[in-house]
Order: sequence, then structure tokens, then C-alpha cells
Amino acid sequence: MRDADADAGGGADGGDGRGGHSCRGGVDTAAAPAAGAPPAHAPGPGRDAASAARGSGMRPHIFTLSVPFPTPLEAEIAHGSLAPDAEPHQRVVGKDLTVSGRILVVRWKAEDCRLLRISVINFLDQLSLVVRTMQRFGPPVSR
Amino acid sequence: MARCWRTRGGLTSRLLAQVGFLPGDTARHHRAVILDLLQEALTESGLTSQDIDCIAYTKGPGMGAPLVSVAVVARTVAQLWNKPLVGVNHCIGHIEMGRLITGATSPTVLYVSGGNTQVIAYSEHRYRIFGETIDIAVGNCLDRFARVLKVSNDPSPGYNIEQMAKRGKKLVELPYTVKGMDVSFSGILSFIEDVAHRMLATGECTPEDLCFSLQETVFAMLVEITERAMAHCGSQEALIVGGVGCNVRLQEMMATMCQERGARLFATDERFCIDNGAMIAQAGWEMFRAGHRTPLGDSGVTQRYRTDEVEVTWRD
Repeated sequence: MRDADADAGGGADGGDGRGGHSCRGGVDTAAAPAAGAPPAHAPGPGRDAASAARGSGMRPHIFTLSVPFPTPLEAEIAHGSLAPDAEPHQRVVGKDLTVSGRILVVRWKAEDCRLLRISVINFLDQLSLVVRTMQRFGPPVSR
Repeated sequence: MARCWRTRGGLTSRLLAQVGFLPGDTARHHRAVILDLLQEALTESGLTSQDIDCIAYTKGPGMGAPLVSVAVVARTVAQLWNKPLVGVNHCIGHIEMGRLITGATSPTVLYVSGGNTQVIAYSEHRYRIFGETIDIAVGNCLDRFARVLKVSNDPSPGYNIEQMAKRGKKLVELPYTVKGMDVSFSGILSFIEDVAHRMLATGECTPEDLCFSLQETVFAMLVEITERAMAHCGSQEALIVGGVGCNVRLQEMMATMCQERGARLFATDERFCIDNGAMIAQAGWEMFRAGHRTPLGDSGVTQRYRTDEVEVTWRD
């Protein structure tokens, strides 16, 4: 049984994923949903952020980051290091990583702008660590 | 790696000074020190990256952001140097280091720390959990009580509670919550948080008495569930691992129980009870020798990783 104090992850705001305020796009803001729209509700299990948002008449927040590397191999290495870990709030924020030539492309889709911001900040911290690791312990050995 | 970590101890007290270890701050700390630490380890051992056989890292359990901070470095150097990766279970790290250091062959293990409380015994390629906490870890209970008493975090709240307990004279009766093979600590914590304010105000007991009473109660519970597991397995060895294993009173109480059963108690000192990188390397080495490899795609960290999920192929 896990220790009840173990936090669910997320770093930028010191773990206040425990329950702070969230600015759920379109629900609590001044712009109310259109009269004919179905009532907004939290996504059920198994629905991703994007389809839940569409279902309740809201568009998800989208954020894309393109990170160039000196070579395609280094972009692949960064992808290998950063892709495996799951997002802590998977039903609300999702991201996918791909490599295109020597560019690492990261695409986020999120229902909640605060959690999106936290995810992006955490990603940038981990990306920075990966880049510093490659600078310090690289270049990659020949395969 | 283990020795390098200890020089950062001062930072540990500051991190714990808030409300326990916060994931974000802990992750920031790890990111700030890890590359220097890695370089120091290579330099001190006189090895180059080509001498390395595999990269072992903590896959879980633990706090998400700190786990990720280390995993991304492990994956990066594994790819840079073209070496295999081995993801290690943190609890198994403690067990394998305990076995190596003490020479215990097949002990019943009491694993007690700020984040975990389990009684584990090896059987047919699994470290089976015989008993555990159903709520908070015993170390967490002690640390949170230290905060109630405003006990210093330097060097650690658990150490200071232990020193105060030695000066306690009066045993305050606390709830004793063993449930079959398991234990529960959150009820004891709420109870002692309540009575502390009342009894200290009336002078009915001292903070030292409360520290003493809490330790005697929770440690007796741990001894009971360990003994139950030893009886079940017919085990003649007990091993204590995890940060709370440094506690001399716990070791004494476990030693008494073992002596009564004609069993041997094994324990390590604070270099190896407390979380350390060397224990992950030790378990990783056992796993690597037995053929375990963690493909990149499967290398994601996991906050919940049961000790019995791992197939222990390196033992008979």
C-alpha cells in the first residue's frame, strides 16, 4: 500500500496538483457555453482531453514545441530519453513526441490551461537536463 | 555514488524542513547535482564510459518528478554510450544491498522508511509482501509527529525523535493497530497529535515521554508482524532495511524477538539503510547478470511499483 503522502508528481508548483484552482477552459470563465450546447462535464474514464473538450463544445488548448538538435541521432536520443514517462494528469493533459530530421517535435493537447502550463514547464526542465547531459557526456559513440 | 550523495546531506535537511520532501524541490535538487555526481563517480572509480556494462536506475516506486529527473539522465547516457538499461525497483534495491552487506542468505525482511513499510520474504522467484502498512509508512508517522513537536530536521526528524525517546520515562498508552499481517499508523498519529497538545499543556508528560511512547508502540507492532511472517516461513534470519532501520531502539526490539526464536538479526548502518545509489547499482548488477534488460519504450517511471511485481530470476 503506498504512503498516502506520496504526491502524484508535477514539479513546477510544488505538487499542488493535490487540488488548487483550475481554469477549466470555457467552464468557469465569463464566456458561458452557447445556449444549445450540452452541459460541461468532466471527462469520463477512457476519454482523452481532446474528445472530452469537443464533446462539451469546448476546444482543447494546443501547444507545439520544436527543438532543433545538431544531428538527427541526437534528436532521436532526446526523444528516447523524454518520451517514455507518462503525463501525471493523463485525462486532462496529453502530449506526444516525434522526431522529424534533426527536430524533436512535442505537441500538447489539454483541457486545463494551468495544468498545460505546468506540464510544459516541467518538460522544459527535463529537456534542459537531457541537453546538458549530452553536452557533458557526449558525443554519441559510433554505432 | 553512495558516498558522493552523503556530502549533499545539508541540502536534505533544508528540503525536509517544509512539509516533508516536496516533489518539485526534490526534482530541482536532483537535476542540479546529478551530472556532477556522475562525473565524480567516474573519476573516483577511475573508469571511463567504455568500462561500464549497464546503466541501472530507479524505475519506482517514489515521487514522480524526482524519478523522471534521474531516469532521463540514465536513458541519455545509455544511448550516448550505447549501453543497456536496467530499471530497478527501489525496495528491491534495499533488499539486495542488505543481503550483500550483511551476508544474510534468505532473511525475512522488514523494510521501513519514510515512504514504505513492508515485511517481505523471498519465495519462488518473488519478493512476496507478507505484511505492510494499510495507510502511511512508519517513518512518515514519526516525521509528522516530529513536526507537531517542532523538533529540528537536522540531521533528520527521525534521528532527533530517537534521541528524545532515550530520555523518555513515562509510557503513554497509544492505540496499537496490528490488523492480521498488516499495520496501520494514521490512527496512532491523529491520536498522539491530539493528546500531545493536551498532555503537554497540563504537564502530564514531557515531549520525551511522547517520543518514547510512540516508538515503543509502533516498533512493537513492526516486531509483531515480522515475527508472524518468520513463523509462517520458518525463517531463522531477519534483516532490517530502509531509513528507519538506523533506529537503535528498533534494532534492539527486533534483536530480542529474534533471540527468543533462536534466529539471527541483520541490520546495516546509516550508510546503507538510507536511500542510496549504490543499492540500485547492486540490484541492477544482479538483474543484469541474470539477463534483465529494460527497453527504452518500457523504461517509464512508475510511482506505484509493488515489490512482488518483479521476477527475481537471479535467485533460486
